[in-house]
Amino acid sequence: MSACLSDDALARVHADLASIPERAHLAACAACTGRSRQLRRDLDVVTAVLRDTREPLTRVAPARRRWLPAAVGLSAAALALLVWVEVAVWRAVTPVPPSMQPQEVAAILSDVSASLFSVSGDPMTGAGDEAPLSLESMARDVDSTLTGAEP
Amino acid sequence: MDRQRDVEPSPSHDPIMIAHYGRLRRLCRLLLGDPQEAEDVVQEVFLKAHEAEQLGRPPMDWAAWLTRVAVNACHDRRRAGGWMRFRLRSSHIDDLPLVADTPSPGDAAVGEETRRRIWAAFRELPRRQQAVFALRYIEEQATADVAVALGLSPGSVKRHLYRAIRHLRRALGDAR
Repeated sequence: MSACLSDDALARVHADLASIPERAHLAACAACTGRSRQLRRDLDVVTAVLRDTREPLTRVAPARRRWLPAAVGLSAAALALLVWVEVAVWRAVTPVPPSMQPQEVAAILSDVSASLFSVSGDPMTGAGDEAPLSLESMARDVDSTLTGAEP
Repeated sequence: MDRQRDVEPSPSHDPIMIAHYGRLRRLCRLLLGDPQEAEDVVQEVFLKAHEAEQLGRPPMDWAAWLTRVAVNACHDRRRAGGWMRFRLRSSHIDDLPLVADTPSPGDAAVGEETRRRIWAAFRELPRRQQAVFALRYIEEQATADVAVALGLSPGSVKRHLYRAIRHLRRALGDAR
């Protein structure tokens, strides 16, 4: 005598999926026959409820929402990947220029200043070529431009 | 307007409607979970039946044909999805009890908790398993007919039914 059928095997019997040995055992075993009848009664109850009763208004969460945790996880992973690309990869590909020396900064500021205060529109020469600009020299430049005289 | 008049069910449809209306309405309610939507789908199905007859192509087996069209129509409705969002936000007036909570004979026969668990377990089933269980057990159709109605092989119908039975029995066991 083989072992009694499991609950899953009994479900297979009712779904017409049971194997020949399972059917043979069911035919010979009184205990399994009783359990099978009980399952049949349970299914009758389920059928009667679904056929004859109103569906309660309370609803279970639809199965399709099972994707929600996965979607949240994937979004977080994508965000982490973006941050990593920005921090590690992008900065490695385009290195930040080293900080400029004070002399370079002074030269740039001098050029900017010369351009701003140039009357002719041409940038003035760098700081090393001439004396630094003073208010008096700037005033002379303005006067000579207005009067047409040589400075 | 003309089309509306053309597709109105003719009296010759009455026997078919009488024979199948209740069955299809119950099936669509089970598959959709919404009485109003089920009503709309059933009307749509009988409209198609009328059109098939007008075109001179009545099916050999009205019951199987109507079931197949109803299942497909429910499937299309669910796939459209828009109504689902509306449904979850609102309660149809049909769902509300007209009188004080007097249980129907069916409600009274089974305990409230058991009923609630069974419905919840049924709604947890995948759509295909719901359809297979409804057709096989509630409509009491043969496996071959269910397979034709759902466009599945008989073996696939049996596997879906097995999974549905296993799930529903567990739910019923938990209720005890």
